[in-house]
Amino acid sequence: MFCVRLATFEGPLDLLLYFIRRDELDLYDIPIARIADEFLAYVRLMEELDLDGVSDFLYMAAVLLEIKARWLLPRPVPVDAELPNTQEDPRQELVDRLLIYLQYKAAAERLASYAEARAHHYTRGQAVAPAEAVSVEPVPLAPASVSDLAEALEALLARRTVIPVHAVRRDVYSVEAQQRYVIERLREADRWSFRDLTQGHSRGWIIATFLAVLELARLGQLRIEIGEGIEDFSIAAVESDVYAS
Amino acid sequence: MLPEEVTLLMQAVEAMLFVADEPMPASQFVLAWEEAFGTTITEADVEAAVAALNAAYEATGRVFRIYTWAGGYRLATIPSVHALLQAYKKEQKKLTRSLLETLAIIAYRQPITKAEIDHLRGVDTAHALHRLQELDLIQVVGRSDTIGRPLLYGTTQRFLDHFGLSSLQELPPLPSLETLTTDPLVRKEQIRALLDGLDSENSGTL
Repeated sequence: MFCVRLATFEGPLDLLLYFIRRDELDLYDIPIARIADEFLAYVRLMEELDLDGVSDFLYMAAVLLEIKARWLLPRPVPVDAELPNTQEDPRQELVDRLLIYLQYKAAAERLASYAEARAHHYTRGQAVAPAEAVSVEPVPLAPASVSDLAEALEALLARRTVIPVHAVRRDVYSVEAQQRYVIERLREADRWSFRDLTQGHSRGWIIATFLAVLELARLGQLRIEIGEGIEDFSIAAVESDVYAS
Repeated sequence: MLPEEVTLLMQAVEAMLFVADEPMPASQFVLAWEEAFGTTITEADVEAAVAALNAAYEATGRVFRIYTWAGGYRLATIPSVHALLQAYKKEQKKLTRSLLETLAIIAYRQPITKAEIDHLRGVDTAHALHRLQELDLIQVVGRSDTIGRPLLYGTTQRFLDHFGLSSLQELPPLPSLETLTTDPLVRKEQIRALLDGLDSENSGTL
């Protein structure tokens, strides 16, 4: 049974170091077969959960399997038992990599303590300009998930007011034209409810407008805001100076 | 130098460092002085004025000191008033672990390509590099001569200031593992200590 805190491993090297520390293994004598199997089990779990960054772990899994395979191959017995075994340990390269990684992790910790000490000195106005500037994140253009938007669209389509007329007539709406329409409406008012924006229009028209809104949000020309209910959402003009860069 | 001149120089240095937004090298001060007063001073004069100011601050119980960071002088408060100032100022965000690790690698191995950093960390560092550049802690310093001429990264002046270093030579030596000792038992203990020293954040359960 697995109980995993996945986010704690920055990468495959961290995971390997975790195994080594947990089992108090000797870094110079890693039980490669066992570690490779355990590592693979972890990667499979990652794949199942569809986590990001699996590819980095897959590469390391391949490296481990390769070492395991070489480890299992019979090694030539040294002709002269007196001579030190010069046969290269297939694990050596991995051990070196882990050591160098450990070295930089330790260096990072030390740097952190330097930053901590430096942060105890204050300079005039320090917190005003640079400190603020680095921590400000732009407002997300769409603080809502795709499924929130899809639900809102579905709700709107369900409540559309135009009764379909059963004479077959092809309505052609283009997303480009709807983009121009949305931008024009946003000039009239900074904020529109999507429902108000599409009131009284047909299904195809609403869908084209919805796609236009998504495209404009992607381009950073408007912001999508979702309230408590998911029946509707708002679009708002973006202050041009914020996203000008 | 006459005593009046020394006082004038100390006042000038103090005023400059009071308004400066970043560490100010002595050479920059010398130029400003020449432009303002039309007379010549040396960097040694500036250094002497800084030392005199620091001595005066200390003797009179002031909270200011002039520190040498990023190759320049910076007027800042002493650590003993840190708690008070922290209660007033917004605390600066700390760098995350992955940013710190990436930064450490760049600091010690610069100039270095992204591929080399990726290999050392075993993960793709595109995001970390982007963020560190945003924070002005690293910068592109050139291109490698290897195939594809990849970008080379190095640290910035702001990096030195952020970590309170006067220059890159002041970076603490990289913790050495193999060269410390040849005794495998001692070495094993050192590795164990390093492993245990890793932040407890890392202790996931599996």
